[in-house]
Amino acid sequence: MTHPVLELHDLDIAIAGRRIVLDLSFAIDKGETLALIGESGSGKSMTALAIMGLLPPNAQLGARSRLLLDGVPLRPDDETAMRALRGRRMSMVFQDPMSCLSPFMTVGGQIAEAIDRAGAADRTSRRERLIELIELVELPDPPSIVRRFPHELSGGQQQRAMLAMALAAEPRLLIADEPTSALDATVQAEILALLKRLQARIGNAMLFITHDLAAAADLAQQLVVMRAGEAVEQGAAGAVLAHPKHDYTRRLVSTRSILRAAPAPAAVTRGQPAVEVSQLAYDYPVRRLFARPWRALDGVSLRIGAGETLGILGESGSGKSTLAKLVSGLLRPTSGEISLFGAPIAHARTIDRDLRRRCQIIFQNPYGALNPRLTIESAMREPLELLRLSGSGSAEKIERALADVNLGPEYLHRYPHQLSGGQRQRVCIARALLSEPELLICDEIVSALDATVQMQVLLMLKELQATRGFAMMFVGHDIEIVRWISDRIAVMHRGRIVEQGDAAAILTAPREPYTRKLIAAMLPPLPDVTITDATQVA
Amino acid sequence: MARVLSVLGTLLRGLVQCACIVMLTFLLCRVMPGDVVDVLGLEGGLTAEQQAQMRHDLGLDQPLAVQFGDWVTHAVAGDFGRSIRFDRPVMDMLATAVPVTLRLTVLSFAFGLTLALVLALAATARPSRLFDVLIDGVNIWSIAVPTFCAGVIAILVFSIWLGWLPVIGGLLAPVLIIGLDNAGQIVKQLREELKEAVTLPHVRTARAKGLSPWRVSVFHVMPATMGVVLALSGLVLGSLVAGSLTMEVLFALPGLGSLTLNAIHGRDYPVILAAVTLISVSLVLINTTMDVLHRLVDPRLA
Amino acid sequence: MSARPIAMMPAGRRASFLRRHCPAGICLPAAIVLLLAAAGLAAPWLTAHSPLDQDLLQLNKGPGAGFPLGTDHLGRDILSRLLYGARSTLAVSALGTVIAFAAGAGLGLLALTLGHWAERILFAAIDLIRALPGTLLALLLIVGLGSGSGPLTIALGVSFVPVVAYVTRAAYHREAARDYVLAAASFGGNGLHILSRHILPNIAGTLITQAAIILPRCIVTESVLSFLGVGSSPDAPTWGRMIADSSRFIERAPHAIMAPLVTLVLLTLSLSLLGNQLRRRFDPIRQETDVPGPAADPAPAAVRPVEAGGC
Repeated sequence: MTHPVLELHDLDIAIAGRRIVLDLSFAIDKGETLALIGESGSGKSMTALAIMGLLPPNAQLGARSRLLLDGVPLRPDDETAMRALRGRRMSMVFQDPMSCLSPFMTVGGQIAEAIDRAGAADRTSRRERLIELIELVELPDPPSIVRRFPHELSGGQQQRAMLAMALAAEPRLLIADEPTSALDATVQAEILALLKRLQARIGNAMLFITHDLAAAADLAQQLVVMRAGEAVEQGAAGAVLAHPKHDYTRRLVSTRSILRAAPAPAAVTRGQPAVEVSQLAYDYPVRRLFARPWRALDGVSLRIGAGETLGILGESGSGKSTLAKLVSGLLRPTSGEISLFGAPIAHARTIDRDLRRRCQIIFQNPYGALNPRLTIESAMREPLELLRLSGSGSAEKIERALADVNLGPEYLHRYPHQLSGGQRQRVCIARALLSEPELLICDEIVSALDATVQMQVLLMLKELQATRGFAMMFVGHDIEIVRWISDRIAVMHRGRIVEQGDAAAILTAPREPYTRKLIAAMLPPLPDVTITDATQVA
Repeated sequence: MARVLSVLGTLLRGLVQCACIVMLTFLLCRVMPGDVVDVLGLEGGLTAEQQAQMRHDLGLDQPLAVQFGDWVTHAVAGDFGRSIRFDRPVMDMLATAVPVTLRLTVLSFAFGLTLALVLALAATARPSRLFDVLIDGVNIWSIAVPTFCAGVIAILVFSIWLGWLPVIGGLLAPVLIIGLDNAGQIVKQLREELKEAVTLPHVRTARAKGLSPWRVSVFHVMPATMGVVLALSGLVLGSLVAGSLTMEVLFALPGLGSLTLNAIHGRDYPVILAAVTLISVSLVLINTTMDVLHRLVDPRLA
Repeated sequence: MSARPIAMMPAGRRASFLRRHCPAGICLPAAIVLLLAAAGLAAPWLTAHSPLDQDLLQLNKGPGAGFPLGTDHLGRDILSRLLYGARSTLAVSALGTVIAFAAGAGLGLLALTLGHWAERILFAAIDLIRALPGTLLALLLIVGLGSGSGPLTIALGVSFVPVVAYVTRAAYHREAARDYVLAAASFGGNGLHILSRHILPNIAGTLITQAAIILPRCIVTESVLSFLGVGSSPDAPTWGRMIADSSRFIERAPHAIMAPLVTLVLLTLSLSLLGNQLRRRFDPIRQETDVPGPAADPAPAAVRPVEAGGC
């Protein structure tokens, strides 16, 4: 009889007495992919490390836990036995390829180490195998890649090099731990496609770990949804997605389908635009002698009408965050004009307090945006004082603002570290709305949050906009989120706006090749799910 | 090309540093209350006229800038002048003193670095209470017990009470004391760095490849810690200077430290200047070497 | 050494009350430091002899009546010299630390707040003297400034300026890169507001810890300088000078050398143990790694209801 490649029975992992994984069981067959889905801290990466025998020294495996590779029991705490399997029978690629490749060794050297593990070979056949592997992962110009150091490659190329290393021995099992999370959307699509092609060729079983339901649906035949160390739902991918049973899975699935639904077109308002930007350029100042300044932004022109939402869509390094900082007056442009509510600010030495009141910015990382030593109340008092809005009513004002983002007055005296990421981001939104701004700049505000929390924050933001009518500049990299929240979208690439237009039009009829590439990289939609209305998410 | 430029830049900065230190020393030597003639005058009972004549002969009545220019032109040619007190070429005095200090510092450095590395490596490879206590102990010893106190204790215990070592002349005691002091200064940080290095993502990748433990440590952990080891070595070298100064005085070693100190007491500035120049140039050279080595180990820095 | 009882404290079951409110790791060294400081201040009332009076009939006497710790090679009372030495050592080192911080942290923060160019100029200047090890720099400064406790204090302070300035700069940049500083700037907060409201409170722990590390180093440097015979006048009662003077009579009068030596080591040891405790409490880098806290993971059970009840 044939065994599944990998079997897990009642996997239990505890770190320092705290249980990280509870009673997890699943099996993967040859040539099959199983996706382990969960948010940060759900125990999915620990599961992978346990299979590889790479758990941290303070981690403990449950007594009943059994792991089988091709029907043979694994002993994750026996380093010698596990080492013999690693790099031969099973291998792993990790999330952040930049830090997971050794910066001190050439790419060729690192892949060669893996080839040596796969079997003794003489010099020429090792060299041949090296080139073969690099071609296998579709890296350009193998002879030159071999000599380069990891920091000289792009993120996607680094992850391909990692894959070449992992596949050197044609392992039975490949574990991919969030292999695309650190990469841009277009690169992510390429790597996922490559993983599929490689699996078809080598026939390995794959354990694919991700937080992204769409990526899992794209790649896997089986899904296991994890929450706080427990598998809350598992089964065939189609069945789980079509009929999610557990509440958490339902929320994950509906989050995606809400984003797919076209939002109602916003009423177009006439009058003075909130922002007008023309021919904006920004050079990053140089720190070293003789270095040329780096142009982060070039020839950017845009306009945001009152009450309108403009989405700025771009990958990392496209200059979108720089643009947000310029418009909010935190940076001064090298050249070009910015006018906020008709007032030019591009070359003003200081920005008028009234203008600051009318324009507010929210940042990506809710962990860094609140001073750890100030309570929520004093953090919220700060803009009131600086913008000269404080008075006898400020205590009520703060309380009301918190209530608007569904946080009770009990949060006033808490410190940021006592709040979750989503709660902190809501405090930041409440703080930005205190001065009743007419323009809100959102710089990747949901990127650091888990998927279900993302949706709550977005829905809340949209509702607040509907009642208050502020204009928004929504900077993001997730094409579905940006499309869902925006009336119009500007697509940025390498410091320039390559395309600008109505949100619906840009997605259905993109004109520029780059936009088309972005849209092609979108993962296929999930099968239709019965629950689609927003209330289900809450 | 970029690599060559950055190394040249580092060297250039080092040279500027040296020049500034020499200028500062020159200035400090001249503004200090009481010059060499005063000291000699007190000792030899010279008349005011004799003193004035002497100042003229030594060029001390010239403007500072002229004196400095004079000194630099000679120094560049390798001539540091003559000692005013001993009337010997400063070069000769340095030539006898430098080997003593060199032996002392090189041996101490080697002992200290080895001790720290051995302790840190042992604590990383086999974490145990014993190594933690040892590391903490050596660390606290180096902070709390100045080298000269350790020297006095060593003399008292080993030489007077136990009668083991000759009180003066031997290099063993000073080397052990300075080495222990150096090890204490870096061992804790070294241990932390090593501890962190074994959990680095690329080290985990190496283990996931199934590489043997020694291959993981030699090719993946060690390069990652080289930067810190080099930086800490630079730190130790600085404290070597202070350590050898007190040890040379306490154990009566005729090295650079004793020479400098005697020159300071005697206001013998040609000697002070030459000694400080020598020390600072060698420190800057060593630091530059460390910098270059670091760049060679880590391709990202080039 | 007194490191041992501290290491073993957690194992002991008794004294849990004391341990919670005043662990031995803090209390014992703090008591020693305070005792020495108080004794130094009260020196004139605690001893019958002047530290300078020589009694040529009582040379190198061991501890006994009249001279609790004995006399040195010139017949001076060791206890009295020790206490006056504590006075000058503590005063000079504490003031030196204050100078190092006023110049290093004060100027550093000023330059950092003023902007990129001020920072570059200040740190270029600091780099020039940084190549010299602290002790050598202090030695040279004393050569130029002359001896006496004033120049000694200044020399000590200046020799620690580079260290303090660099620590300040690193801490400042770590905080200035945070988003809450950007947020404050977006509300129109000026440099002073950001410095006082956001940066100073967050780097204060680092600076206090650094001061606790610098103070014992100042004391050591001071003792090294006086051991080498620079800095103070030849007969001034300083510990380093006492050790240097008595080292010639080490065989005949070991007590004369042991008294200042033991006191010096006890003081620096206590101060550095206190510094370690402070670092454990205040250093943000340690805190981030050591204490997982709710910030590290959005504690599912407690947070979920609120999170889910969002909309």
